[in-house]
Amino acid sequence: MKIGIPKGLLYCRYHNFIETFFLELGAEIVTSEDTNKKILDEGVKCCIDEACLPIKVFHGHVSSIKNECDAIFIPRIMQLYDKEYICPKFCGLPEMIKNDIPNMPQISSYPIYAWDHKAMYKWAKNTGNLITRNNIKIDKALKSALTVQKNSSYRFNDKKYPYTIALVGHPYNIYDSFVNMNLIKKLNELNIGVITENDVDSSNINLQIKNLYKRPFWTFTRNSFGFSTFLAKQNKVNGIIYISSFGCGTDSITVELIKYEIKDLPFLLLKIDEQTGEAGLNTRIEAFKDMLERRIKIESYFPSYG
Amino acid sequence: MGNSYLAVKSIFDTLGISVVIPPLNSKKSLDIGCQFSPEEICLPFKLMMGNLIEGIEKGADTVIMVGSCGPCRLGQYCELQMKTLGNLGYNVDFIVIDSPAEIGKKEFMSRIVRISSQSQKKKKEKLLALRNGYKIINLIEEIETKAKYLNGYEVNKGECLNIIKECKLDSIKCTNSKDMIKVLEGYMKKLKELNIDKQKNPLKIAVIGEIYTIIEPFSNINIEEKLMKQGVSIIRKITPRWWIKDTLLKPFKMNSMDINKAAKKYIPYSIGGFSKECIGESVLASQNKCDGAIQIFPMGCMPEIVSKSILPTVSRDLNFPIMSLIMDEITGEAGYITRIEAFLDLLERRHKNVLYGN
Repeated sequence: MKIGIPKGLLYCRYHNFIETFFLELGAEIVTSEDTNKKILDEGVKCCIDEACLPIKVFHGHVSSIKNECDAIFIPRIMQLYDKEYICPKFCGLPEMIKNDIPNMPQISSYPIYAWDHKAMYKWAKNTGNLITRNNIKIDKALKSALTVQKNSSYRFNDKKYPYTIALVGHPYNIYDSFVNMNLIKKLNELNIGVITENDVDSSNINLQIKNLYKRPFWTFTRNSFGFSTFLAKQNKVNGIIYISSFGCGTDSITVELIKYEIKDLPFLLLKIDEQTGEAGLNTRIEAFKDMLERRIKIESYFPSYG
Repeated sequence: MGNSYLAVKSIFDTLGISVVIPPLNSKKSLDIGCQFSPEEICLPFKLMMGNLIEGIEKGADTVIMVGSCGPCRLGQYCELQMKTLGNLGYNVDFIVIDSPAEIGKKEFMSRIVRISSQSQKKKKEKLLALRNGYKIINLIEEIETKAKYLNGYEVNKGECLNIIKECKLDSIKCTNSKDMIKVLEGYMKKLKELNIDKQKNPLKIAVIGEIYTIIEPFSNINIEEKLMKQGVSIIRKITPRWWIKDTLLKPFKMNSMDINKAAKKYIPYSIGGFSKECIGESVLASQNKCDGAIQIFPMGCMPEIVSKSILPTVSRDLNFPIMSLIMDEITGEAGYITRIEAFLDLLERRHKNVLYGN
C-alpha cells in the first residue's frame, strides 16, 4: 500500500516519526517534493483565500501527490502538549483538505494527542489498520518511531558568526526555505548566526510563562514567547527576527506579547505570504543588520535616545 | 455585545454596583480600538478595545472579562487588553471569569467574591438579581427572535423593526430589573397582538457564523435590519442565552445536541470557536425549510476559515444556498449591500421556481 505524506506543516519537525512509523509497518511511502513554486501555486488555487500561507502550501503538497498513492496521511494534531492547542486550523485540517481538493483518495486523519500515551496508541492502531491488522507490529512500529523522534535533533549549524539573532516563528516557517526565501542562508551571508528555540532548554522557556497573567494555550505562543523573552533577559542575542505568515491568528497576539516584554532589543517582524518577490525581504534584513552594527560600534548598546 | 449588556446592567444595578455603559459601538469606538490593537487581530478585539477605553474614560475602574481556553483567540484577549491599557496609563482592575478547570476552583470563587463583595445586599438578594438577569435575557431574546421571524408575515411594514428598536430604548432607561421586566413584558404583549398575514410566504434566511459578529449589529453593518427592511424572516439560533446554556451544559456533553448531531457528518471533532455550530446550523436550517443562509465572520477568524471551506460542500449536498460575508474595519456598506441584494434576488427566483414549477 502506498501512503502519501505531504511535506507541509509539521512534517519538518516530525518527519522521522511519521516515516519510521509507516516504513516499519511495511507500507510504501510517497512524499511530495520540497516546497516549490508549482506546489505553492497549486495550493493557492485549491485552498480558500482566507487561510494562511502554511495551510495553502499544505494543500499544494497534498494535491501534488494525491494521484500517486492509495491513502494520504493528514495529521489532525489536536494537542502536542497537555491543555495546549496549535491552532483551530490544525484540528480541522482534514476537513479543509477533503472539501477543498476534489477526488481525494482515502484519508487517514485520526486525532493526535501527542502527550497522551493511550491516545497515541489509539491513533497508531487506527492509522496502522489501514496497512496491517497485526497489533503487535503496530505497537512495535509506534515504539521505534517514538524513539527515533526522541533522538532527532533540529539544530542549525553551530558555526560562530559576529552577530547572533534569535529566529522565532512557527517551525514550518523556519525550516521551509522556500517559504521563508532562504532567510537563514541570507542571514549567514550577512555574518549573522541564528539561534532557534531548539537551542534553548525547554525548562527555561516554560519558566518565562510565569510572567504572564494567563497561561497561553497555544504551543507555539508559549514556545516563541518563552524563547525570545528568555534570550532577551540573558542578553545573549543582538536582536530578534520573527517570521510570521500573513493572517496568522496566534501570531497576532504572540508578537504583541513579546514586544511588551523585550523592551529595547531590536525586533524585526517579517510577514510572509504567497508573493515570492525577494527584494523587499532582502532590503529589510540588510537594514536590520546595519542597525545591529551601529548599535554595537557607535552607540555601544545604548539606545539612541538614552 | 448584542443585547446582553441590558441584562448585565440590570444585575449590577440591583446589586448596587454602578456600571458604566460605554456608548454603543460607533465609527469612533472602532477608530480608537484600531489605534491601540495589533494590526492582524480580529474585529471583536478591536471593537472591545474601543469600548473599554471609552468606558474607562467615562469613569469605570474595574473590567470584567470572560475568558476561555479553547483554541480560539478569545481566551487570550484579557492578557493583551491588560497590557495595552497598562501601557496607555489607565489604572484599572481586571477580573477575568475563566473556567474553574483551568484556574482552579479556589481562584475562581475568589474572583467571583471580588465582584459580589462590592455589593452591600444580602445573599438572597444577590441570587435574585442573577435570576432576574437571566429572565431579562430570556425575554429580550424571545422578543427579538419572534419579531425577526414574524417580520416576513407582518401586514404593516416596519412594525417588527420598530418594536425591537423601541424596546431597547425603553429598557435601557430602567434603573432596576423589576422595571425592566415590566417594560419587556409590555413589548412581548405588543408583539402577540401584531397584525400578521399567515398566507404570506416570505423568504427565510438563517444567519450563522461567529458569535460576536452576528449578535453585535455594528460589526455586521446592521445586516439583520437590512434584511428585515427587505421583508425577510430571519432565523438566528446563536444568541447570548444560547451561549450561557451551551457553556453550562458543556461539561456534561449535553450542549446543543441537535446542532452537534447535524454537524457530525461534516466536521466530526470540535475545533474551537463556533465552527461546528456554524456547520450544524446550516444543515438544520436547510432541514427547517429555510431558503438560504448567510455566514458572517470577522476577517482572520481561525475556526470560521475552516467552516468556510466546508460550507460549499454542505451547500452542494443539500442544494442550499449559503453566502459568506467577512467583516473588517472597513465601514463602507455599498459592497455588502450589493451582495446581499443579489443573494436575495437569487433566493427569490429559486423560491418562485419551486412554487410554480417553472
